[in-house]
Amino acid sequence: MARSAVTAGAAAATAAKHAALIALSLLAVFPLYWMVVTSLKPEVDVYTSHLLPLRITLQNYADAWQAIPMPRMLGNSMLVAVSQTAAQLLTSILAAYAFSRWTFRGSGLIYGLIALTWLVPFQVIMIPNYVAISEFGWRDHLLGLIVPNMVSAFAVLQLYNAFRSYPYTLIEAARLDGASDWGILWRTMLPNLKAPIASVGILLFITSWNDYFWPLLVTTRLENSTIQKGLQLFISSEGNMWGALMAATTIASLPVLLLYLLLQRQIIDSFLKGGLK
Amino acid sequence: MTIEATGTAGRVAGAPAKTRERKQLRLRLAGVKPYLYLLPALLFLGFWIYKPLLETFQLSLYQWNLLPTSPRQFVGLDNFRNLLRLPDMGIALRNTLIYTVGIMPFSLLIPILIAISTDNIGRRAGTLYRALIFLPMIMAPVAVSSIWRWILHPTNGIANEWLHALLPLTEPIRFFTDERWAIWSITFITGWKLVGFATLIFSAALTGINKEYIEAARMDQANRLQIIWHILLPLLSPTILFMTLMSILFASEMSFAYINVLTQGGPFNATTNVYYLLWTYGFQTFNIGASSAAAVVFFLGFGLIAVVFLRLTKRLSFYDN
Repeated sequence: MARSAVTAGAAAATAAKHAALIALSLLAVFPLYWMVVTSLKPEVDVYTSHLLPLRITLQNYADAWQAIPMPRMLGNSMLVAVSQTAAQLLTSILAAYAFSRWTFRGSGLIYGLIALTWLVPFQVIMIPNYVAISEFGWRDHLLGLIVPNMVSAFAVLQLYNAFRSYPYTLIEAARLDGASDWGILWRTMLPNLKAPIASVGILLFITSWNDYFWPLLVTTRLENSTIQKGLQLFISSEGNMWGALMAATTIASLPVLLLYLLLQRQIIDSFLKGGLK
Repeated sequence: MTIEATGTAGRVAGAPAKTRERKQLRLRLAGVKPYLYLLPALLFLGFWIYKPLLETFQLSLYQWNLLPTSPRQFVGLDNFRNLLRLPDMGIALRNTLIYTVGIMPFSLLIPILIAISTDNIGRRAGTLYRALIFLPMIMAPVAVSSIWRWILHPTNGIANEWLHALLPLTEPIRFFTDERWAIWSITFITGWKLVGFATLIFSAALTGINKEYIEAARMDQANRLQIIWHILLPLLSPTILFMTLMSILFASEMSFAYINVLTQGGPFNATTNVYYLLWTYGFQTFNIGASSAAAVVFFLGFGLIAVVFLRLTKRLSFYDN
């Protein structure tokens, strides 16, 4: 009797746990579900609140594709995100290698200066950077989007942590075999550090794909901007094209959602390590 | 190994002077090597973060309208003296406080509650829940704005339809255009994106806690609430302090995108905050001096808060070791 009461209590507690998590999951997923469902509804059904689409159409996607220069902006976003990620990985791999390989004068200070950039909000430095980009003639140019973001302090700190755990004896062994410092980095260490580098890279790609303030500021013509800015314009110019807007939102989110589908564990882990910025 | 050593020795014997020279050069090069590897990162951070930061300090002493052709006029500390009298400054500060406190249920309260109550959930179910509740975190702020604008739309949105069915509303709630609601709508969206991430942060911290403490307390007949209050929360305190700092530092930065896309600070400034104010001064009224002076003050203010918190974390935290 007592035992069955205990098991019943435990079962109720387990049920309550799942209920809390299911509620939180629904809250997280429903808006995305609603985005996709709305994007698939024909215009007459958009205003009905049926949770399942009664009829499915791709018309909204065709409309969205024409409302803004979609392929061009998607291409820009991809180009910016890929080159930014590559540049950020390169600069942070070199920096992380320096910190983990040598002890040198000023290393603490330099590390501190890199880490502290985390405290500088975008809005505090946007005006001088905007002026600099204008002087270079890089407004409305992809260079203006990419070049200011070629280093990520987050990536340096994360990769330094990964590099630090690499066994020093292996570096010594490679050195005795006559490998140069450059060779040790690219041929000895990197092949063994692919996993942490990839997970930092994914996070950098997502951050860059999602970025929107900087494109908003330095681009004016949609053809020269990224999909985030296109989406923002679409939102503010909205007549009542909810289906098309949700289709555009789905398209703009698709690369990141696909990445997440494939690699959610690595993505979650690297976000949890990376904090909020 | 031996072969290698003799090989080197042979070469040394062959050209002693040249090798010594080269060795010295290599030693000197070795001294600058770490700096060479750091150079690209430092150059870019210097040019795109530290240089503009100094320039913002400099611009705060000038009056300027962003036009390259118009002169910058030195005004000393006038911009700082005028700060509090600037239009919208009072309401922006008040709203910043609302955003900061309003985000805390999503970054602290709900996550801690859920993390503690769902600790040791089954591994497979846990993985699924993790993947689902984390999803908002990877979405672009603009996409999030777009979706919530549709859901919360006064006449066509599904939220109002559901609310209408549940509550006796006389008219639909205008979530983004009603002064009483707008700031809470923006706070909710900011929190929605964050709550799953924060829950996983606390779950991870809990997993790191040594379970022997809890077992020992159970042996001593401590009940569930006592365990939470006297063991779990103190052990979580570094994470709690960290997330509180994050909420203070980033609530305004994170809500910025939603304000810009959904309300542009309105209606009647009901949703503006300190960072949005920098934006309006800088790129709408082109008062660069005011924007820069405010930026300097907010930067130093938030920096001070960060320093105080990091000190507190060191002093107050109970470390699990």
